Amino acid sequence: MHNILNPYAVIKTKVVQVITETPTIKTLCLRPEIPFSFKTGQFIELTVPGIGEAPFTPSSDPARHDEIEVTIMRVGRVTEKIHQLKKNDAVGIRGPFGSGYPLELFKGNEVVVVGGGCGFAPVRSLMYSLFAISSELKKLVFRGGCKNPHEFLYKQELIGWTKQKGLDVRLTVDKVEKKGDWNYDVGLVTTILDDLKVDKSKAFAIICGPPIMMKFCTKKFLELKFKEKNLYLSMEKNMSCGIGKCGHCRIGRYYACKDGPVFRYDTIKNNEDIWE
Amino acid sequence: MYYLPEQNLHIVLGNLQESYNVYIPEKKNNTLYYTLFSSKHNSYSIDEVRACEPLKAFFFKAREKVAENYKPAASHMNTKPLCIVGAKACDLKGFKVQDYVFLTDEFSDPFYRSMREENLIISADCSTALDTCFCMALGLKPYPEKDYDLNLSMLEKGCLVEIGSEKGETVVKNNKALFQEVTQAHKQQKIKIRDRVQKHVQLNIKNHKIPKESSLKNRIKKNYKGAFWKPEAETCVECGACNTICPTCHCFLLYDQGDAKKMARLRVWDSCMIKDFARVAGGANPRPELWMRLRNRFEKKFDFFPEVLGINACTGCGRCITACPAKIDIRKVLGRLTGNA
Ligand code: SF4
Ligand code: SF4
Ligand code: FES
Repeated sequence: MHNILNPYAVIKTKVVQVITETPTIKTLCLRPEIPFSFKTGQFIELTVPGIGEAPFTPSSDPARHDEIEVTIMRVGRVTEKIHQLKKNDAVGIRGPFGSGYPLELFKGNEVVVVGGGCGFAPVRSLMYSLFAISSELKKLVFRGGCKNPHEFLYKQELIGWTKQKGLDVRLTVDKVEKKGDWNYDVGLVTTILDDLKVDKSKAFAIICGPPIMMKFCTKKFLELKFKEKNLYLSMEKNMSCGIGKCGHCRIGRYYACKDGPVFRYDTIKNNEDIWE
Repeated sequence: MYYLPEQNLHIVLGNLQESYNVYIPEKKNNTLYYTLFSSKHNSYSIDEVRACEPLKAFFFKAREKVAENYKPAASHMNTKPLCIVGAKACDLKGFKVQDYVFLTDEFSDPFYRSMREENLIISADCSTALDTCFCMALGLKPYPEKDYDLNLSMLEKGCLVEIGSEKGETVVKNNKALFQEVTQAHKQQKIKIRDRVQKHVQLNIKNHKIPKESSLKNRIKKNYKGAFWKPEAETCVECGACNTICPTCHCFLLYDQGDAKKMARLRVWDSCMIKDFARVAGGANPRPELWMRLRNRFEKKFDFFPEVLGINACTGCGRCITACPAKIDIRKVLGRLTGNA
């Protein structure tokens, strides 16, 4: 990273595949002109030429250096254009930015990962990284929630995880319309956190999802007597420069782009607007 | 320290033009603005007070192209380096904040860096103060004490020159014959002027009941509620002038122009007072109300920077007081925050 001459310049990158995940979510597989690596939890800025850029946390396995995947929900001007991209289009990327998940710290410990909504994207990359060190983890638990079965991101892959040995997985949706659409839990994601078989005074919990979901999960974990310093949240802020200069992503004394976007709960809990 | 007669100062500045673009304050309609030095003119005001525009404008430009197409390197900015003459103590404090933002940690800003590394700063003592000057409430004196290459104390027919860096020393060496020895009378004149200006600023502080810097600590945390900030923000029209005119405000927006064949990324000054400043793409806005954004502006200056840099990001220059169409007065807000007013 240190040899980037101009932190605002982008690397030319080819769209090699576009996967439609749900009606509002697509995954782009991107091949940068030069090898590109990131640590799980770090984010990139993706530029649509002439339109602008937006921050995304890759959803692919950080072990791959030729291609990265970003999973993107259509929510605004830039993401609208991103959804119109086709195979072989050129885009630009910058990064990676931010500090990522402290994987080393998790080794030898029990780790609970909770993902919700489009928050699954970064969580998938994290899970790949955790699978890679699974022999060094005491236990790995995954809990996933979504509004309904149709919008469940990476559904097939996650269902695959439920059959994986040594992995404790539960999936839930808020609501099912048609019987037979869904063979797993129904209810808010907080309702599938009660049965965690981990030592709550020592286990780590990683929460990634919409602010409201993170707020309630954090509350839940604290009720379950997880330690504040063992909770990791990934904060969605208006990241622009990615390098702690433009001022857009401040949370208290931190910049989400530089000191986050993954934060230990106790370091940011005193800021009133973290859930906004 | 040396003495430099006025006509010799003019020659030195003329000589500096060979290697620098020399900017110097000039008075227009009773206000000082920076202008390119020319040895044909002699209407400059090196002393007096800070100029209208903040010095950041020279280094972190209001609008600048920062990337082009897929070019990895910063396009070379091969203009002559800058020499700024007549920067005031409060201007130099502004650099402290901007340097921290743009030069520290792993990603330094290549545009700011190239301008700043090669610049020559010839600061000057203030010879008067505006009614809005309150630098002394923020730990400064109205004359530069450090962070300059050369500092000038303008006297009646010349100036005293203090050397602050090797670069400054080189300037003196290269023009050795023009510099003279300092007399006791010169020194006394300088002290007299400095005393007079300090009294002026102190009187400002007393008249406007501006709190001491030490009492600002944690004040925003203690007054975080809308009950305090709503009345403060009541008249604000969200113009952003307070941000753009501020020597310490550094926030910017990146935006792209062109199309897939030819694109340019521009960096423009941004304002945290504007509604969408912190809004995320999904629509959530952590600071939807104007009073929250006003509070944020104070938080950044008086909480954030003290924590990360150890100084308040306010220089006491008073520019925002003059610029605000809603007459929101930082001195008064600070007074009320500390229970002083
Ligand atoms: S605030 Fe102080 S240093 Fe700045 S112009 Fe006024 S008197 Fe001079
Ligand atoms: S200059 Fe005054 S009116 Fe304009 S944004 Fe700042 S506080 Fe509001
Ligand atoms: S994105 Fe610019 S400061 Fe964080």
